[in-house]
Amino acid sequence: MGLLEQQFEENVLTTKVDWLINWCRLQSVWPMTFGLACCAIEMMAVGCAHHDIDRFGAGAFRASPRQADLMIVAGTVNFKMAERIKRLYDQMPSPKYVIAMGACATGGGPYYKYGYTVVKGVDRVVPVDVYVAGCPPRPEALLEGLMKLQEKIQQSSVIRRPARTA
Amino acid sequence: MAESTATTEREFMLDVRTQDMEVNMGPQHPATHGVMRILMRADGEICTGAQPHLGYLHRCAEKIGENVEWLQYLPYTDRYDYLAAMNNNLGYSLAVEKLMGIEIPRRALMIRTICAELNRIGSHLIAFGTYGLDIGAFTPFLYMFREREWMMALFEKICGARLTYSYIRIGGVFNDAPPGWLSEVERFCDVFEEKWQEYVDLLMVNHIFVQRTANIGVISPAMALDFGLSGPMVRGSGIDWDLRRDMPYELYAEIWKAGAFSIPLGKGERGALGDCWDRAYVRVMEMMESIKIVRWCLDSIAPGPVIADIPKTLRVPAGEAYVGIENPRGELGHYVVSDGGKVAVRCRVRGPSFTNLAVVEELMPGTLIADAVAIIGSTDIVVGETDR
Amino acid sequence: MDFRGILDRLKARQAPGLVGSDEPRAADPADKKDKGRAGDPFLWVEAQALPRFLELCRDDERLRFECLIDLTATDPSKDDPNLHVVVQLLSLAFRHRLMVKCTLPKAAASMPSSVPVHRAAQWHERECGEMFGITFTGHPDPRHILLPEDWIGTPLRKDYVFPDEYHGISCK
Repeated sequence: MGLLEQQFEENVLTTKVDWLINWCRLQSVWPMTFGLACCAIEMMAVGCAHHDIDRFGAGAFRASPRQADLMIVAGTVNFKMAERIKRLYDQMPSPKYVIAMGACATGGGPYYKYGYTVVKGVDRVVPVDVYVAGCPPRPEALLEGLMKLQEKIQQSSVIRRPARTA
Repeated sequence: MAESTATTEREFMLDVRTQDMEVNMGPQHPATHGVMRILMRADGEICTGAQPHLGYLHRCAEKIGENVEWLQYLPYTDRYDYLAAMNNNLGYSLAVEKLMGIEIPRRALMIRTICAELNRIGSHLIAFGTYGLDIGAFTPFLYMFREREWMMALFEKICGARLTYSYIRIGGVFNDAPPGWLSEVERFCDVFEEKWQEYVDLLMVNHIFVQRTANIGVISPAMALDFGLSGPMVRGSGIDWDLRRDMPYELYAEIWKAGAFSIPLGKGERGALGDCWDRAYVRVMEMMESIKIVRWCLDSIAPGPVIADIPKTLRVPAGEAYVGIENPRGELGHYVVSDGGKVAVRCRVRGPSFTNLAVVEELMPGTLIADAVAIIGSTDIVVGETDR
Repeated sequence: MDFRGILDRLKARQAPGLVGSDEPRAADPADKKDKGRAGDPFLWVEAQALPRFLELCRDDERLRFECLIDLTATDPSKDDPNLHVVVQLLSLAFRHRLMVKCTLPKAAASMPSSVPVHRAAQWHERECGEMFGITFTGHPDPRHILLPEDWIGTPLRKDYVFPDEYHGISCK
């Protein structure tokens, strides 16, 4: 978008253009293969035929962060991995989104109390858009998380100036 | 004429100065089976050195074992080898039951064996599917999830969870199978036997798969024993060792005596003995043997209690015990030390993937980079178990 | 062979470093405090002689412990001045297991490495070393394996203090 980003005042035309751009973006959010632990298996199940994430347009899992829109942090984050997660997040081009899948990515999970190397939630490392609870969350829960993310994308202002609060 | 071009070419090659390149494989990589990093040194396409780096999923399971009560530790056991969670629960429960010296009701033993063997099938299905995915075959991955979803639905009916069950508890199992569950397991066995042939035809005898995996990553029997390998890693090299038959636990001694199952071994059919194809073949054949064990249990199961009388706050008698069971990946060992209290003094988990991975450092030099992926896939590691 | 048979064989071969054995026993009815010991029998071996002991176990034709299954350690309690190093051995030929324990003082936790005898010990010793602070002399590659390279502290000792933060990320 570059020059046109958030330059125009909010009116009927720009709202419609934004709606179209957001609709295109939310229908093809491509995740990065970022399964860390047990939640990765449920993410694989979501990608397969039974729960099919491809019908949401998100079926093309990209291995390289430079080609991905969405990082689904599926599994426990520990300190050794946290630095790599930050680096991968920085390598993703904007607009980028993060779903924290599972109890470990949301807040440390079962390893909260006695896990000395576990980061208590991936939001201490990267900004998170949607949290999906569960240990591991059912594939349907991850799909609901994806749908929530799509609702969030629908609200974003691309060429409109964002509404001023108070 | 041909000779002189060959000589000039060689002189040219000697003149060109090359440098080995260090390539990082992982921790985020589609083919490392989790978060593992392998620092590879490559001379062109040939790998000259490989150094695995672990610890990207270290979740302090052993420290947690020293701080939470005996029964509270059970959910953590699910999460190290998350593809075969029932077997992990079983290993831990057996170690604690050995210290307690209690007797498990027969129906509980039957249900435990059925769940452990179904989970073995599920784990080998993932090993088979993701191995195909690493090599480049996408279809077996989607096909194997068909049976795996059914298996997970069966487990959901019995204990409520799809992946991390905490179902096999100290003293037996959590609750009895709901009505109709056993007949559904029987139907699963019937359908699986047909689909199994599909898997063999789709991937195992596929010419490309054979070319990619035969004669790659050959592990000799002496190397296997020196590295302390276990499971399909040693059976693929022809060593006839399976804890279920040789050091039986639960009902396996009875099942073996009844002649219900056999131990498949690698025979070097498609290449050298102990190559990647042999190990993949052993896993695929083991799925059928697990079906036979499940059928034996279904024929012999009878109504009865499913858990021994265990207090909610368990105090385990002082002592120490080691129990090793046959996980789909190898020997999963639990070494528990108790001082008579509510909390363990030491709860050591000997993960087979940790020991099995060490051999990769020895196998990779001298192979092509593409073969490195085949070798890692054939070790069938789960990083939750490697790092604990 | 059962445990007694293995012990007799080791004594007959004058196994280096063999100190004693510990077998499970029932509670002593005369002594109210003694609750007995459950579980598996094991041998006590001197830590400095462990590699030679393992070599004998591996090569003796009646023992044939080809596989080193596990090498780890235990910190019995905060007050105990010693660590226990625990080794599990397995024989495929004779289908028997053996548990071997050594004591190491916490203040001077150093012992020779068993890597020349069993390659399996390489990674187990790395993990044991970083978790308990044990130095295995002669180990070819004693780096951290599971913990980050610059991690301070030996987590599995009983007196370990959990850190407050690491590289700017809070641990609380």
